[in-house]
Amino acid sequence: MARVGVFVCYCGANIADFIDVPAVVEEAKKIKEVKISVLYKYMCSDPGQGMIRDAIVQNRLTSVVVAACSPRMHEKTFRKALSDAGMNPYMLEVANIREHSSWVHQKDKKAATEKANDLIRMAIAKSIANEQLHEISVPVTKRALVIGGGIAGIQAALDIADARIPVTLVEKSPSIGGRMAQLDETFPTLDCSQCILTPKMVDVASHPYIELIPYSEVIELDGYVGNYKAKIKKKASYVDFSSCTGCGACTQKCPVKVPNEFNMNIDKRKAIYTPFPQAVPNKPVIDATHCTMLLKGKCGICAKVCEKGSINFKMVDEVIEREVGAVVIATGYDLWDPKPYEEYGVGRYKDIITSLEFERMVSASGPTNGVPIRPSDGKVPKNVVFIKCIGSRDEAKGIEYCSKICCMYTAKHAILLHHKVHDSHAYIFYMDIRAAGKGYEEFVKRAQVETAATYLRGRVSKIYKKGDKLMVRGEDAQIGQVVEVEADLVVLATAVIAPKDNPSLARLLGVSYDKYGYMSEAHPKLRPVETAKAGIFLAGCTQAPKDIPDTVAQASACAAKVCGLFAGDTLKKDPMVSTINNEFCSGCQNCVKVCPYQAIVTEEIPLGHGSKELRTVAKINEGVCQGCGSCVAICRSMAINLAGFTDPQIINEIVAI
Amino acid sequence: MITLGLLEKNTFLEAVNKKSGANVLECYQCGKCVSTCPVSSYMDFPPREIMQMIKLGLKEESYMANSMWFCLTCSACSGRCPREIDIPAVMEAIRHLAIEENYRSENKKVKDIRKFHDIFLDMIKRYGRNYELRMMAEFNIRTRNLFKDMHLAPKALLKGKIPIGHESTKSAKAIQRMFKLAGKLEKEKR
Repeated sequence: MARVGVFVCYCGANIADFIDVPAVVEEAKKIKEVKISVLYKYMCSDPGQGMIRDAIVQNRLTSVVVAACSPRMHEKTFRKALSDAGMNPYMLEVANIREHSSWVHQKDKKAATEKANDLIRMAIAKSIANEQLHEISVPVTKRALVIGGGIAGIQAALDIADARIPVTLVEKSPSIGGRMAQLDETFPTLDCSQCILTPKMVDVASHPYIELIPYSEVIELDGYVGNYKAKIKKKASYVDFSSCTGCGACTQKCPVKVPNEFNMNIDKRKAIYTPFPQAVPNKPVIDATHCTMLLKGKCGICAKVCEKGSINFKMVDEVIEREVGAVVIATGYDLWDPKPYEEYGVGRYKDIITSLEFERMVSASGPTNGVPIRPSDGKVPKNVVFIKCIGSRDEAKGIEYCSKICCMYTAKHAILLHHKVHDSHAYIFYMDIRAAGKGYEEFVKRAQVETAATYLRGRVSKIYKKGDKLMVRGEDAQIGQVVEVEADLVVLATAVIAPKDNPSLARLLGVSYDKYGYMSEAHPKLRPVETAKAGIFLAGCTQAPKDIPDTVAQASACAAKVCGLFAGDTLKKDPMVSTINNEFCSGCQNCVKVCPYQAIVTEEIPLGHGSKELRTVAKINEGVCQGCGSCVAICRSMAINLAGFTDPQIINEIVAI
Repeated sequence: MITLGLLEKNTFLEAVNKKSGANVLECYQCGKCVSTCPVSSYMDFPPREIMQMIKLGLKEESYMANSMWFCLTCSACSGRCPREIDIPAVMEAIRHLAIEENYRSENKKVKDIRKFHDIFLDMIKRYGRNYELRMMAEFNIRTRNLFKDMHLAPKALLKGKIPIGHESTKSAKAIQRMFKLAGKLEKEKR
């Protein structure tokens, strides 16, 4: 015979003010299985839990009902109290009389009390049919997959590998380094970006626990937390990396010139190329869309000059598989195309460039050897106008959000301009100066006071050409007048946007993304590093615009999460999963279709005992199953049972109302 | 509309900074000075705007403004300025520069204020200290407003608020020498 204990919580005034709790306690006592029914101010407190533990032992209880807040809040707390008292933790039922009754029926105490009584009766009835359940152990593959080799991916890979966990780092382009490799100096300290990044890149290449797979993409991810299986497409590079020494003879001799995307198309690269001199790995790849040998079968000079014979024009894409336990997404960001700003003459006037183009120009290793020039005539500009919020905070043309980094890099650009061209002057049109970060406000002050950059508060309304100058018209709200600046060069701080491949990658990985294409975190405040899918984590701008310190911090946080996940040999999982009764399963596979987690597959079993004929039945992977119950509801033959929510439990609940 | 060219050398800003000892570039346009200033509502450009105009090199507009003439030099603004800019010194610098460069506002109030300054200095030069009754009389004559505040005169005189004669100071001669020397230095400078 079942022996149930009922523990009703005041929750301070949260429940007691709107529900007649003493009456509820008395009502529960009327049920014959209830051996003890008590009341306490805060059941979740240590003495409250002690009460439950003592009652279990003294009254030899077989199940426990706690009438308190949502099980999302304290189910784990009370389960632990049960197991501390030697009881199976899954013999607990929580009647949520706070969110489901006191909070929503504050105006009618009588009705709220009645509803609480109902909820408790249901919980008691259900708990009588509860079965003892045990946590499921899932084995873990201790290898992490990091997607993206920018600073976020590099940092995450290094931190995970330093904990002696093998990492596979997949990078889409021929070299790791990402956006940070394109930067000249970094705010707010003006460290040389390459100087602080390249040692990390080299560390990645030489780390015994990191497997670097450049020029490749993840094309498939199956499985579940601790047991993912990734398919990685290695794009044909037409260069055998194992024998190539990176001497560069092929890139020198290649006759085909194409715009250099690393330098924002300001200069040209060859069809066989390494993206930049410090590339890791420092091996060239052939751009198949431009190589005349691959397109027309003519040329092949690179193969002739290569002493090692590393060039292989017959190379094809290769798909490899890796088993991993966790995934870190670090795909970075793209920049918004300012073409819709027609009033600025974007596209018409050559001397309007984007911030990343300016960044490449002022970079010592950039296409202009560190000197900014006007694209129209190659002259060094004196008056440079920087315009912030291009696309950012612009619902009409761009995106609603603030790109976060533009205020700071524009201040940096003003300072760099002054360093490179001493007799120049920077004008900055801005809407707000958002300099929240360590040393950031001081950095902006440096741009304003030391560099004497002129900050004009207002959005530019139009730009027109006058002689060889660009006239930039905007309001200076500080003095309430329209101003026109004669500019030699205009630099647009274009918005940070999610990479265009993010949505397709998100679907492939089974994680969610927001309306802008950024990967969604599990909770905006308390779980900013995890995705809703267990074992998949987010680092850097793939989640939202971020500066380098924030990106690195999040990448390290990902590493901590991965290390935590891999700390034991198995993962513990709630036992609330579905099981199939093969005898009843008709093999209709409706459950396969409705399962949102792809947890159900099919298998072939003998038609009868000892029979050679086979029939199809559904099979549930309990590692993937999240216990949502969709399959139970769709199953026509009632062959599926969800532990913790069995038919007898549900029927008991319904009868008790 | 204001057209801004190359500010490679903002000479106006440099002159103001040099004369005032402040750095106008430090101003980040918070406007605390404006709400602190007791007379900002009478100014055509309140202190914050004057600072921005200096930054933009708008010399003429700054010289023709009435702001620096209305400034009482009470230093309430600089006392509260989060960037600790000596705003009264900046106002003073513009006053000096405007006079040096012969900018004269045709605004009646500015003209009167300038006359007030001139008469006051004249009193000091003559007597070594202010001679209030004469100052009032001269101000009323020179501003062509003879009977200004006249109705207050009997009461003030009876109460002894305005002494009829002037009290001479011991150092009147020394002060006159100072004026002479200052005049000589100024000529040399030019």
